[in-house]
Amino acid sequence: MTVIDVQNVSKSFGKTEAVKNVHFQASPGKIFGLLGPNGAGKTTTLRIINYIISPDSGKVLINGKQASPETQKWIGYLPEERGLYKKMKVGEQLLYLAQLKGLSAGESRKRIRYWLDRFGALDWHSKQVGELSKGMSQKIQFIATIVHEPDIYIFDEPFSGLDPINSELLKEIILELKDQGKAILFSTHRMEQVEQMCDDICLFNNGRAVLTGNLREIKKRHGKNTVLLEFQGDSSFIDKLEGVRINNRSTNFAEIRIMNGMDSQAILKKALDHAEVQKFELVEPSLTEIFITTVGEDNINPKELV
Amino acid sequence: MHWNQIYLVLKREYLTRVKSKVFIISTLLIPLGFVAYIALIIGIQFWESEPRQDIAIHDQTSVLVDRLIERNEDRYQNLSDASIDSIRTLVQTGRMDGYILLTEEHVSGDATPEFIYTGSSSMALQTSIRTELRDVIREERLTRAEVTEDVRNIFDSTVALHSRKLTETGDEEEDHAAFYSALGFILGLIIFFSLFMYGTIIMRGVIEEKSNRIIEVIASSIRPIELLTGKILGITSVALTQFLIWTGLIFLIGLAASPLAMMLAGDISADPAAAQAVGGIDPATFEIPAVPPSLIILFFTFFILGYFLYSALFASVGSAVDSESDTQQLMMPVFILLFIGFFLNVEVVQNPDSALSIFGSLFPFFAPMNMITRVAISSVPFWQLAVSILLMIATITGTMLLSARIYRVGILQYGGKAGFKDLLKWFQQS
Repeated sequence: MTVIDVQNVSKSFGKTEAVKNVHFQASPGKIFGLLGPNGAGKTTTLRIINYIISPDSGKVLINGKQASPETQKWIGYLPEERGLYKKMKVGEQLLYLAQLKGLSAGESRKRIRYWLDRFGALDWHSKQVGELSKGMSQKIQFIATIVHEPDIYIFDEPFSGLDPINSELLKEIILELKDQGKAILFSTHRMEQVEQMCDDICLFNNGRAVLTGNLREIKKRHGKNTVLLEFQGDSSFIDKLEGVRINNRSTNFAEIRIMNGMDSQAILKKALDHAEVQKFELVEPSLTEIFITTVGEDNINPKELV
Repeated sequence: MHWNQIYLVLKREYLTRVKSKVFIISTLLIPLGFVAYIALIIGIQFWESEPRQDIAIHDQTSVLVDRLIERNEDRYQNLSDASIDSIRTLVQTGRMDGYILLTEEHVSGDATPEFIYTGSSSMALQTSIRTELRDVIREERLTRAEVTEDVRNIFDSTVALHSRKLTETGDEEEDHAAFYSALGFILGLIIFFSLFMYGTIIMRGVIEEKSNRIIEVIASSIRPIELLTGKILGITSVALTQFLIWTGLIFLIGLAASPLAMMLAGDISADPAAAQAVGGIDPATFEIPAVPPSLIILFFTFFILGYFLYSALFASVGSAVDSESDTQQLMMPVFILLFIGFFLNVEVVQNPDSALSIFGSLFPFFAPMNMITRVAISSVPFWQLAVSILLMIATITGTMLLSARIYRVGILQYGGKAGFKDLLKWFQQS
């Protein structure tokens, strides 16, 4: 079953093609990760799904219906640029936002109390948002996103700017929502978050969806072609390896992607000759590695991937 | 359009503003400021005291100078005994501001007196010197002609003009042209200030939503045009609330005023000197002409229409910038329209039915100010009122569509100052 169906969507701003012919589906009970460097078109895609902007061509179906003011009510959206009215009280503000999503005043009040309680924030109810700390207002923003309890959740770079405690909290909520069978779509430029949480992914680069599918399958498809090596001693042998790409390296650790023709055992031998090997493991490539392989080294700015 | 959501926006805009301290303070202070402003204008006209000018009179006839000094002893000094050269030196060194040489020629002949001065000399000063000279020379000529007391009285008499207005029903009514002119001007002024003030409020509101970064959450719940409509209606309601409070205050003051005037009148009639002091106006019979209810209704109509017209423009400017300091360039055309309308009001007050005034009261961007002033002063044909209102409604539809298109793109743009080119691009984009 598909709840978000993005069909060949394109959008240009003037001469810039922000999104080019993007195509993907998200299902309930799963976390879908949209990833790619900044400026790859993720936010534009999310805005189109939320019916904030309209695509130049293609269409978006939410539960089988074309995106419209009605489908907006089925989605909880946490934008990358997020904030609150500073001069409103927390309770009033949540009530306003819940009612805009179509909830009745009575029902809204009940749920606001529930969620404030869950976040240990019940006594903030009558506080002005301007008085809250940054971490506190982040919690209020989550509540605003989920208070109308929709079936679809969209988070745009949800972890950026969050303190560690709120980061964990949000992760917990996202996993809980997933267990309830909700559909979750989030975008990030941080690959390791996707590896930890996502079921399905869509890789964006320069406005195009370059790779879409189930994360496990994609990884499996690439095979166990990466060596994780932990060692003690002289590391200069790593520079002399041929037919490999070093992705991650520190004084006693290296993530080595084996390119065509090179044998993993040869790397082990070289390592044993020069250093004391503490760990040698053959694994599936990291998402960063898959991303680089997919778009080609020349087509990306590696600094944009963390 | 989803009206229940527009209503939610309206309610939020209204309640958060009406409950704010700014609203309470401005409701109290603005009328005070307005009264102070008008008092200042009137005060300047009444109390406009010219700087004291010392004018030396060298009178060779010796019959004019005393009469001049009698008329204005602060201004004229008799220096008939001094030589013209020494008087010129006094004027040149600044100890006197000017001098006039009066000779027999000025009384018996046709010669024109000359006023020689240094420094600055205003038109008002010259006019007043001329009047005073004319009076004293005429008096001397009458004395020499040995005319009778009756003839002298004729020269001293003044003629006033009373006016009464013939209405369409054939009744003559007391003419309050001055009152209605003032009223019309003030109503136009109020609309001008209100459009300006409440326009700025909506612009700030839009900028605030952008800089708070809440706009995208709102945009994921309702359409931008619904948000814009809700905001405009909300702030219109705030404005109407404020107007109603002020109207109520004026009404209360009016109720309190007549007993107060009676008390004052009682005091004054007991004291003839005080009655003299208020300039001969008997407070007991001094009545303020009635303000027709239709004028009040039209005032609200034109304010609301004018506000719909301008607020959409203010909002689209707000949507294009990140902070208030970036608004200047984009505000220019809106300000220019408002100010032209305001300045046209001066013409409307003087010639309410001139072609220019009629144009101003029909042109949608000036009509809110010019039409209300015209209505107050003159009897505007019904068709002109109708055309004016219809033109405004048509223009409002246009500006709303234009602004909504700029607005829906603008609210999601951050960074950089947008110019007119960007607005055009956004308009085409959406």
